[in-house]
Formats: sequence, C-alpha cells, structure tokens
Amino acid sequence: MLRKADYSAPVFVAAALGLFFIGGLLTTVVPPLMDKSWAKPFENSDAAKGVTGKLQPYTEQQLQGRAIYVREGCWYCHTQQTRTLLADTKRSGWRGVDAPISTPDEFVYDSPHLFGTKRTGPDLSRVGGKYDEQWHKAHFRNPRDLVPGSIMPPFPWIANNETEFQALVAYMQTLGRAKNWRPDNDYEK
Amino acid sequence: MQSEATIRRAGEIPVSAAARYNESIHQDTTARLFLASSITYFFIVGIVALVIAAKFVWPQLMGTIPMLTYGRLRPLHVNGMLFGWLLAADMGLMYYVVPRLCGVRLWSEKLGIATAALWNVIILGAVVTLLLGVNQGLEYAELPLPLDVLVVVAWVMFGANIFMTVATRKYTQMYVTIWYCLGTILWTAFVYLTGNFATLFSTGVNQANLNWMYVHNAVGLIFTPVGLAIAYYFIPKTSNNPLHSHKLSMIGFWSLAFVYVWTGAHHMIHGPISQWLQTISIVFSVMLLIPVWAVVYNFFATMRGQWQQLRDNVPLKFLMTGVVFYLLTCFQGPMHSLRSVNAIVSKTDWIPGHAHMAVLGAFSFFAIAGAYYVVPRICKTRLYSDALANWSFWLFLIGGVGFFVTLWLGGFWQGWQWNNPAIPFIDTVIALEPVWLVRFFSGILMFGGIVTFAYNILATMLGPKGNQSQAALATA
Ligand code: HEC
Repeated sequence: MLRKADYSAPVFVAAALGLFFIGGLLTTVVPPLMDKSWAKPFENSDAAKGVTGKLQPYTEQQLQGRAIYVREGCWYCHTQQTRTLLADTKRSGWRGVDAPISTPDEFVYDSPHLFGTKRTGPDLSRVGGKYDEQWHKAHFRNPRDLVPGSIMPPFPWIANNETEFQALVAYMQTLGRAKNWRPDNDYEK
Repeated sequence: MQSEATIRRAGEIPVSAAARYNESIHQDTTARLFLASSITYFFIVGIVALVIAAKFVWPQLMGTIPMLTYGRLRPLHVNGMLFGWLLAADMGLMYYVVPRLCGVRLWSEKLGIATAALWNVIILGAVVTLLLGVNQGLEYAELPLPLDVLVVVAWVMFGANIFMTVATRKYTQMYVTIWYCLGTILWTAFVYLTGNFATLFSTGVNQANLNWMYVHNAVGLIFTPVGLAIAYYFIPKTSNNPLHSHKLSMIGFWSLAFVYVWTGAHHMIHGPISQWLQTISIVFSVMLLIPVWAVVYNFFATMRGQWQQLRDNVPLKFLMTGVVFYLLTCFQGPMHSLRSVNAIVSKTDWIPGHAHMAVLGAFSFFAIAGAYYVVPRICKTRLYSDALANWSFWLFLIGGVGFFVTLWLGGFWQGWQWNNPAIPFIDTVIALEPVWLVRFFSGILMFGGIVTFAYNILATMLGPKGNQSQAALATA
C-alpha cells in the first residue's frame, strides 16, 4: 500500500501525517485528560495521608525572581525535580530527613517549567529554606568563596542590585515548600 | 557528470528521462546563499562553544560581563549550531538535491533567495536577544515569540518551494531522499508549533511534556530525516553505487514516521510525570532500533565491495563515519531510556556526549560531506584543497571521539557517584575537572576542523572559476 506513496505526493502526505498524529495526539493531548494531578495544585492537611501543605501561587516579587532565574540560564545547570530515586531523596534531604519525591501537582503554577535536563550543580527542587539571604548574597558574588571547587559562575550584577537579589532569593525560598517536609518548620529565611 | 540514475536501483528510473536531464538548468543561488551563511555561523558559534567549554575549567572567565555569562552563551551555542549552522546547511543542500531528483529547476529561485535573507534576519535576531537574556525558558524554544513567527514564515516559504518543485517533477517516482525531505517539512511544522506555541498555553508537567515532545522530535523528526535525506542522496552519489534496497528504505522511513513521536516523555524518566507515560516512552524508544538498523544496514550494504573508496574520497569518509556515529548514538538513546540505565546516566555529562554524537558526529558530518560535494559543483570549479579537506576530517574525527568518549566515561562516573549520597555533591564536581579539561582540548581540535572546513569552502566559493575539467579528472 505504501508503494503508492512513492508516486503520489498526496498519498505520501496523508500517510506521513496520519502516522505522526496517532502518536502525537496520544502522547500530548490525552495524558493531561487522564492524569488530573497535572493540573490540580497540591493540597493536603491530613498528616495520615503523608506530608502536608498547600501550593501557593507566586507573588509578584517571586515571579520577578523566577524571570531572573530564566534570564541567567540557571536552569541549564540546575534541575528542579526530586526523582523516584533513593539517592535523590537523600541528596535533597536535610539533617537525616529524606525529601519527598516531586509530584506533578507541585508545579501547576510553573511557566516556563524549570525541571531541567542537566545537573552541573545540585538539584534545587527542595532548596527553599536551606540557606539564608546572607549566604545567597555571598554565593552569587562568588560561589568559590563559600564552596571551593565550585564551577558556578559569579553573578555580581545580581548581588549588587538589591531589587533583583531580593526577588531571586524570594523565588529560591519557595522551591519545594508546597510540601511542608522539614520537621519543626526548620527553614532559613 | 554522473547521471541522477546512478543512485537508484537499475531499472527504477526510465533511462530516457535520465538522458534528457540537463545539469545546466540549475541556478543554485539559494543553495549557495544558505551554505555560505550556515558555514559562517558554524565558525562563529564554534567560538562560543569553545568559550563555554572553557568556563567549565575556568569558571571566572568573563564572569563579570552579564552578556557573556554561561547561562546566556549556552542557548546561543545550542540555537546557533542547530538553526544557524545545521538546519540552514541542510536546507541549502535540499535546495540543491530536490530539483535534481525531480529533473526540473527549483520552483522559484526568488522565493528561495528571500527565504535565505529571512533566515539570516532570524539568526541575527536570535544572537542579539539571547545575549540580552531574552529567553522563553524552554529548551530549544528559547527564542522570543516574534522570532518564532518569522521561523514559521520562513519554513512555509521553504516548504512551498520544495513541494512545488516536487509537484512539477519530471520523474514520476520519488526517491527516498524526497520522502525524507517532505516528511521533514510536514513534521517540523507541527513539532515546531507544539514546542513554541502550544507550550505557551500550558503550565507545569503538561508544558514539560509538550516541550520534550518538541525537543525530542527536533532531533528525531527534523535533524534525523533531513540528515538521512542527505545521506541517502550522497552515499550512492559520491561512491557511484546504486542504493542497496528500496524495500529497506521504505521500512526505515515509515517506521520512523510512526515511532519517533511517542518518545518525548523519556526525558522525564523517574521524574514527576505519570508512570504509564514513562513506560510508553520507553517501549517506543526501544522500537527506534527498527528504523535505525534498517537505514544503517541499507547504507552499509550499499558500500559492499566498495570500501576501498574511503581511502581518498573525503565526502564519503564523512558520510560513512557519520553513519557509524548515527548507529551508536541511536543505540545509546534506547538504552538510556531503560529505567536502570537512566538512573545512572540521566542529567550527567554523559548526555552532552550523546547529544553531540548525534548532532555533530552524525548529522553535521552528513552536512559537511554534502557541502564538500555540492559547493565545487555549483561554483563550477574544483575544491580549493583536497588535502585541507582531509585535514578537516581527521580534526573533526579525533576531536569528536575525544569529546564523546571523555564525556561518557566522566558522565558515567559522575552518575555512579551521585547514586551514593554519602559523597558530597561538590566532590563530584571536583572529580570531573580533568574530564572538562580534556573536553576543552577536544573542542579545540573540533574547532580546527571547523576552521579548515569553512576556509576550504569559502575559498572555493570566492576563488577562480572554471577548473571543472580538473575536478572531473580528480573524481574519475
Ligand atoms: C555553570 C553552571 C551553573 C549555573 C549557570 C548556575 N549554577 Fe548554581 N551551582 C552550580 C554548581 C556547580 C553548584 C555547587 C557548588 C556551589 O554550591 O557553588 C551550584 C550551587 C548552587 C546553589 C546551592 C545549592 C545547594 O543545595 O547547596 C544554589 C542555591 C544555586 N547554585 C543557585 C543558582 C542560581 C540562582 C543560578 C542562576 C542565577 C545558578 N545557580 C546558576 C552551577 C551553576
């Protein structure tokens, strides 16, 4: 049958698009219809059902910080997903407490999504509340002052611009906080 | 001049049609413009590539200049290489190849020239916006909306020209290269719209899923089919051998059309996306072996008994090495999607090793071979220097293999360390420093390849005309 497509461009076009659209539609349009957690913000107040918390929409300032994160390409070096791997939950964890796995309902307000593909630096999905403002300021000014051997670039133009710096830190502190996973509310500001 | 019939199996094309064919009908201005500009970008973006490789070793380098920070140069490198160099070079070659396979001249040379001009506007716009930090935050889709719209316009102009050329063809049967070229045009339209427009109406995991559908298919349904279109034309052409099997090429093409688009979610394996979707993407990723092996077997079988030609036929060297890289990279891909392997290599430096083997090792090698073959012919002269061309091959090959292999070893080791949470993250960074140093030096070799290639091609384009007879002697 496909031999016809050797001679007739219309037959060719119909076959090439037909085959493409089967997989195209089934893997892009159908999944969000089937898995509602992609669009429903995380919310749980029942400790028996697991970690509690509620996903909040971003504030103006946090959105500005997010835009800086996008502009400077932080997401080329940092992922934002604690995967279903033991090592991920340990590495994102804190003082012996394993971090919860990332779930789709934590990212409903994210656009652009910043899951990332490369970990040149550590995953940031649970970094919210890990460091205080002072730490971030010194780190952006020159990462190697705090972490010898780091290859993170310096960002003096952020550290020296108070509005931008505050916005970026405000955003960083939201990361992973929909789930209130640390015991005793032990988060840095 | 070889007839177009040599690339088909004996008897599949009416001899009379081949005999009536006259090479001098082609003007090739569009092909020339696309090739010249894409090769220039190859060189410029190659410098950017070296800078970002250097930043892994010397992170302070240019560190106080916002425009030259890693996070702005990396998208410039990726977009510049993909759209400024590779896709533009592929388009230039299609403007050359398709009219010849149809036995007619390009439908509209004027439209082609306008397309080339628009493409250059887009690339220059991309350079400026990316350096300024204007970035949509989605991989491969960094360019702002107005430039996306221009890309769509340029793509329609390109598609219309090619489709009209095919519609007015003299040879009734369409050779494999034409299928792949038409497929690229159709699929790219939808893949690009998904990645650059549909993503704007979605958030979170839904958006990520559309984004990965685009990213994966930018490689699988843009660079792969147009790259194979080139290989299917130039392997038989430069070796003067008919293609081994029409049936195999059909299996390869139609299975590619069906299988590729399902695999986008394999970028999120173990990540926050539905398990069943991950499993589907894994199953189809493994099925990718079918189109790949069908195509590669066909190419190898075409070369049967002719391998000695590799000794001094530079375009053929690039082509067949590219085929080997294609085979390897498309073996890695399905393997990475397996959950156990993915748990080690995902997000590590292994992945750029893999990606560069596809886009540089396979598809750029095909495009380079095409340029070496085509440019002397459209300039009606001979290549500026055969020796230099051979140098470019070895520089690319040694630099490329050095790059791929060090990143695989380094990336695997890195993934291994990450899976042991007792090792602090920073130690896994420091451990990779030697790897990044070797990668930088491999990059210098590859850049040497770019320089020798670009110089050779531009010198051929700008040099004296009319060495055609010598060129014919040299290929005889
Ligand atoms: C070239 C890659 C690269 C880029 C770009 C980059 N980083 Fe990093 N980042 C690293 C590396 C490597 C580390 C680990 C060493 C360190 O802490 O400095 C790190 C560490 C961090 C940490 C500490 C994480 C932890 O758990 O200890 C934060 C927070 C951070 N980066 C934020 C950012 C932000 C915000 C940006 C963008 C403005 C950014 N990074 C851009 C490579 C990068």
